[in-house]
Amino acid sequence: MTTAVATIDHHHDPTTTTGIPNKKLLMWAFLASDCMFFGCLISTHLIYRLHPPPGTPPAREVFSIELTSFSTFILLMSSLMMALAVNAIQKGNLKSLRWSLLTTIFFGCIFLGCQVFEFTNFVHEKHLTITNSILGTTFFTLTGTHGLHVLIGVIWLTGMLIYSFTGRLQEKDAIDVEMMGLYWHFVDIVWIVIFTAVYLLEYI
Amino acid sequence: MSAPATAAAQLPHAPEKSKFGLFVQIAMVLAVITGLELVTVYLPFAAWLLFTILVVLSAVKFLFVIFVFMHLKWDKIFCTILFFIGLTLAGGTMWALLKLFGAEASRPVTTMAEPPAAAVLVA
Amino acid sequence: MEALAKSDFIAKEEKAAKPFVLWRPSAKTGLISWLTTIDHKRIGFLYGASGLLFFIVGGIEALLIRLQLMVPNNTLLTSAQYNEMFTMHGTTMIFLVVMPIGAAFFNFIMPLQIGARDVAFPRLNAFSFWTFAVGAIILNLGWFMKDGAPDAGWFGYAPLTTRTFSPSHAIDMWVMGLQLLGVASIAAALNFIVTIINMRAPGMTMMRLPVFTWMTLFTSFLIVLSFPAITIALIEIMMDRLFGTNFFEVSNGGLPILWQHLFWVFGHPEVYILILPAMGIISEILPTFARKPLFGYPIVVFSGASIGFLGFGVWSHHMFTTGMGTAATAAFAFMTMAIAVPTGVKMFNWIGTLWGGHLRMRTPMMFAIGFLWMFMIGGLSGIMHAAAPADAQQHGSYFVVAHFHYVLIGGSLFALFAGIHYWFPLMFGRKVSEFWGKLSFWVIFIGFNVTFFPMHFLGLEGMPRRTFTYDSNMGWNTGNFWATMGAITLGVGVAIYFITLIYTYYKGERTIKDPWDARTQEWSLPNPPPEYNYAVIPTVHARDSWWYTKRHLDEYKKETSDHLKDDEGHGGIHMPFQSIYPFFAGCGIFIASVGIAIVDFADPAKYPGFWGPKVATTIVGGAIMFISVVLWAIEGNDGYHLHLNPDGSVRGEDHSHAKAH
Repeated sequence: MTTAVATIDHHHDPTTTTGIPNKKLLMWAFLASDCMFFGCLISTHLIYRLHPPPGTPPAREVFSIELTSFSTFILLMSSLMMALAVNAIQKGNLKSLRWSLLTTIFFGCIFLGCQVFEFTNFVHEKHLTITNSILGTTFFTLTGTHGLHVLIGVIWLTGMLIYSFTGRLQEKDAIDVEMMGLYWHFVDIVWIVIFTAVYLLEYI
Repeated sequence: MSAPATAAAQLPHAPEKSKFGLFVQIAMVLAVITGLELVTVYLPFAAWLLFTILVVLSAVKFLFVIFVFMHLKWDKIFCTILFFIGLTLAGGTMWALLKLFGAEASRPVTTMAEPPAAAVLVA
Repeated sequence: MEALAKSDFIAKEEKAAKPFVLWRPSAKTGLISWLTTIDHKRIGFLYGASGLLFFIVGGIEALLIRLQLMVPNNTLLTSAQYNEMFTMHGTTMIFLVVMPIGAAFFNFIMPLQIGARDVAFPRLNAFSFWTFAVGAIILNLGWFMKDGAPDAGWFGYAPLTTRTFSPSHAIDMWVMGLQLLGVASIAAALNFIVTIINMRAPGMTMMRLPVFTWMTLFTSFLIVLSFPAITIALIEIMMDRLFGTNFFEVSNGGLPILWQHLFWVFGHPEVYILILPAMGIISEILPTFARKPLFGYPIVVFSGASIGFLGFGVWSHHMFTTGMGTAATAAFAFMTMAIAVPTGVKMFNWIGTLWGGHLRMRTPMMFAIGFLWMFMIGGLSGIMHAAAPADAQQHGSYFVVAHFHYVLIGGSLFALFAGIHYWFPLMFGRKVSEFWGKLSFWVIFIGFNVTFFPMHFLGLEGMPRRTFTYDSNMGWNTGNFWATMGAITLGVGVAIYFITLIYTYYKGERTIKDPWDARTQEWSLPNPPPEYNYAVIPTVHARDSWWYTKRHLDEYKKETSDHLKDDEGHGGIHMPFQSIYPFFAGCGIFIASVGIAIVDFADPAKYPGFWGPKVATTIVGGAIMFISVVLWAIEGNDGYHLHLNPDGSVRGEDHSHAKAH
């Protein structure tokens, strides 16, 4: 009784009670949970910054705010690319999807590269390690956990990119890309908070 | 597994305006704000003012990403509510923990030569 | 529009792409059917069976504790063994008994109550169970190893749990086990939230939901929002233990009190996770056996939400004696008193439900009324703790032990036991004997009160918790002796309960559909329900939808036959395929967990550098998990179609148009 529809409504799923696709609802609920996760981790870091042990060098002497601003900018641009990727698959444009995914992955890798560079610099030149001080412990654990989230995202994006070449990814699967996009944007907004709370606040 | 689809056909909807341009504009705004944040830390203002500016700027970035890139502005309001429940709880917990650890009674003793004030013990 | 539909570009896109499938398990009986099941009823059964099995384990641990404390200066257990007993008793009962039995009901009953055919993500549901099983195993492996079982309390305070003070792998297994249980719980809770919000039958508005489903929703929110705190705490202690970080290392600036805060930010909502499902079950049983609707449904629902929300603001009442300062202590004392209000409101509503009702004192009703009374006593001792100055004496004493056993046994357990009797006829088609059920209730009730009531006095008289023995001149001898007598009685009562259940499962008297003349939708199904649950998704017209249907049978018959024709027109009932990947992912997780928690660090002489048995085991496990998840993702969520005869029997299966819905 329904003729083949040329356009799929990507924002309304008539088979669910609310019209919100199940996968979207699942991801938003998961992100609410992840807010508490990063909230507790960031809290740990900030708690330990309240009364630094005597003799702790000021964090601003360790950090390089220019590098971190650059990697923040990179992650924001990767978010743009991700949004464009979702936009593309919702129009059935696989070629555009693949380019957008590739650039997202590329920017994600640049971010990770900056993190690796920053970590090695802190360990070898600034003598801040994960075990030699409380600042090192909380800093590396927090930014490392965030970096791990980025890495998981990059792996997920790469998997999706490869899958898009098999012919099995179609416009009707846009919800899967959208769900992945929500995760990627979340990783970006956590970084927005970390950039301010961990880095910028040390300079004022 | 799913609620039965209604018999009525989907109402046709106007094709959506492409959000491509909007996304690029927002991305540029985000880049500019990041630059502003970097500049802010070098301004010669009081710490509380700089802190407020930074928090506001990051909040603006945060809200742009969730409402535009993550599409909350156009989705059903329940998604926004769901996320804000988690966000509010996380923020509230962080606030409470910082207040707890910031209290005078919770200040760690750093040397044995400095016994905590008697008032703190009683409090 | 038509031209577009015919164009090559669109037509190519519409060709159905076959998903990448290695194996479609189709066994309906036997071991493989259980390993590959994605049916919420079977998963619920697995959770329930596991919970009841671990109840025996936790119960034995409890009996050993009570036997050790029966007389002063006893030598049944060494102090080290005693530490393992109270640690594992607490951990087991909370995480391996009450939570899984709750999950059993969420899984089995909730989809039936909302008129759904399964949960939103069936394979994720199976994954939750297998991860739970791995966590349960890891927690208990210590019993069979030189390291011994975890022995630092169910709350694992730092710095006792740091490597300095707990060098063996016992605590690593505790940390890893709990971490896995957290992952399992969060995954399951996310699934339930999406199911309840998005998969309700037509007409089932939120304010027509059965209260048990509402409590499932609130509990799920509590789980996804509180478990991250303990996830972080466990990561921090694990990093201290494995990598020498300084989270709780005092000499390098760490603050062990942070562990307490993070643990209790989780731990307090956790106790509401333990009691809300129980409150939901009671809210179903009382109306059924009083033959009256629940009194004040909206306020009962709202109180549940309030308890959940306020539960995040009271955690430091577990820390009144840690010297937080006047302001903090007062704030948490105030919040703790506030949270008693919605709980009290519910109590009054339950009493209001009974008032003027036609009470039928069947076994579920006995346990439910027992809940009302016993939970209230536990609540009263709880509110006594809320007064921080009084708590200065009560903290760490047997008064606390009395309080939480009244709310956990008198509250949670009584309700779960009630629920098992209540829903047994639906789940298994058999009715539990009234005589043996009631006998088990009375023996449990008497044994429970004889065990824990004296502990109020023992606590007020200064007996501390978590100590393996006491001297004979403390004045605690009589209380402890009678508590042990009570414990043995309680054990006998539980044994009667279990034996009755097992007997009934195999040989119990078969029962008609809806033997209690109940009120909610799940009772409209045949017992046991068929794999597809509803032949026709019901249309809901009112709260207590089944009660309404029974009084509007003509309307119901017409709607049913209309919808049956519709379903056939859409190709039959869609059923999801089974899958092995959730189980395989669990296997990978098990291997990786053994690598992280149990395998020793490599001897640098034999394995210089990064690689060694620990790293290798972890990576192999991780790889198996990763591959399983990838295959799970690309096998797709397709299914097959069932065609039913008018009487509900299956006419045939149709695998030709395997398509996800």
